[in-house]
Amino acid sequence: MTAALIEARGLLARYGPSLALDGLDASIPAGDLVAVLGENGSGKSSFLKVLARVLPATGGELTFDGRPLAETPRRATARRIAYVPQSVDLVFPIRCLDLVLQGRAPHGNGFVAETPGDRRRALEAMRACDVEGLADRDAKALSGGERRRVFLARALAQEAEVWLLDEPTAGLDPRHRLEFLETLWRAHQDRRTTVLIVTHEIGLAASLATSVLLLKAGRTIARGARTDVLTAENLGRAFGTPFERRGGRFEVRSEVLPSSTSEP
Amino acid sequence: MKALSRGPALAAGALLLAAVLAIAFSVGGVHLSLADLAAGTGEAGQTARMLAALRLPRVLLAALVGACLALAGAALQALLKNPLADPFLLGTSGGAAVGAACAALVGASPLVSPAFAFVGATAASLGVAALARRGGRLDLERLLLAGLIANAFFSALLLAAFSIASGEASRTMLFWMMGSLSDATPGKVAALGPYVLAGLAVLLGAAPRLNLFAVGEESAAALGVDTERTKRVVFLAASLLTGAAVAFAGVIGFVGLLVPHGVRAVAGNDQRTLLPRPALAGAALLVAADAVSRAALAPAELPIGAITAALGAPLFAWLLLRTP
Repeated sequence: MTAALIEARGLLARYGPSLALDGLDASIPAGDLVAVLGENGSGKSSFLKVLARVLPATGGELTFDGRPLAETPRRATARRIAYVPQSVDLVFPIRCLDLVLQGRAPHGNGFVAETPGDRRRALEAMRACDVEGLADRDAKALSGGERRRVFLARALAQEAEVWLLDEPTAGLDPRHRLEFLETLWRAHQDRRTTVLIVTHEIGLAASLATSVLLLKAGRTIARGARTDVLTAENLGRAFGTPFERRGGRFEVRSEVLPSSTSEP
Repeated sequence: MKALSRGPALAAGALLLAAVLAIAFSVGGVHLSLADLAAGTGEAGQTARMLAALRLPRVLLAALVGACLALAGAALQALLKNPLADPFLLGTSGGAAVGAACAALVGASPLVSPAFAFVGATAASLGVAALARRGGRLDLERLLLAGLIANAFFSALLLAAFSIASGEASRTMLFWMMGSLSDATPGKVAALGPYVLAGLAVLLGAAPRLNLFAVGEESAAALGVDTERTKRVVFLAASLLTGAAVAFAGVIGFVGLLVPHGVRAVAGNDQRTLLPRPALAGAALLVAADAVSRAALAPAELPIGAITAALGAPLFAWLLLRTP
């Protein structure tokens, strides 16, 4: 067995005074689509942020492609790992094309304006995400679904082999959610990228992910193929509430709510 | 979202500045005829040359101070992703004034007062940033409140210094509190020039990274920017520019707020092309404001800070109303 693309052992990270990661373990092979699940505050987003070099690890080991991530220059990491944040509040107007062109920043030489090649790649990425028509629009004025796809286009333009997506479907209506996932799936298939998705949608993990990383309190409590990890027992432990499997779906039981309204 | 392309927009800025410089040069308590100055013969020519020698340093100082403040404001707004950021509102100018006042109190040479002002400005920005930091990030509301606190504190220090200073020193204190371009000399203009160039060079170097801050600090970090280093560099450059401006012209508010806003509206928000423009536009604004201050109540002078505040305060109010 060859070494995984991303290896984390006993990873520690702090967010202010509190411990965000408390000994997380993960082993992610290239090309996997990994769903990162866990309750709020379990360290899902923090793990992505450590991988994106947004949050520094304070202990443990983290290697990317066999080398310690912290020893790689930041720009070199940014050429290989793209991060799509959960929500971004834009204050100043920014053209969607300029936003997507930001993905070319780690490849550029610093000051000089983007090359025609950068522009071409950015437009290709926008086409792949079906946001080509928005190139001249102000990103501030977009709907949630459009904005997610523009940020996905930025990750595509970055030509990274790893995409880190933080709750990309949160707050989207069913149609926009579906469109976003289709775009993501196609891009993932075309480019054979490794994808980590933080999500609260267990159904999404069960249908799309090749493997699942289940976290609680900053630690890994289960990891591996989705069928091995997604069990009522594991989910119950992760979320602190009993799960039941019904017709291929996981449901939480409620004494208060009428039945069958509780699919997470 | 149409923005002027960079060449014409810069040329337009330069033309605007040239026109404002020419007009400001000729208005004032006494009208200076540019034709007489050019002809240069007889009594009229002599008077014109004398007036020019008096007025030229002042107009140039106004241009340089305006450029410093506008650049500092533009850089801070981009870095903090906040249209309300301004060296005056964030207390940087106040810190610089206290630093310069200290230099005057200990009797240091006026040429080292920018260094004192720079130290004061840097201390002020660090203090304000520390007050505004919550959970590892700068909180925007807290930033403005921290600026308010810093300004109140520095005003108190300046008032205290004003009351213990005597004679010439107390006049200088007043100068720093009110802001004034009336003490312009060719030496001051020459001393300020390098600060503007250094600040502009550093900020232009940081401009591509500043652009990535437009989507937020985390996003910039994920795109390979060493955000801590960028923040330090930009804060120091803004403090340097503010310190230099305050050391030579006292505290003049709102230039750093007004100018980037106007420039963004015309030219978009790409820092690589945006950053040189606030320098031109800030220079033009302050030169024009100074001309108004000299001409409006001639032979008396309106304080220049009153004019910039009269323009800036309504804009600030409008931005505050618009900011979610």
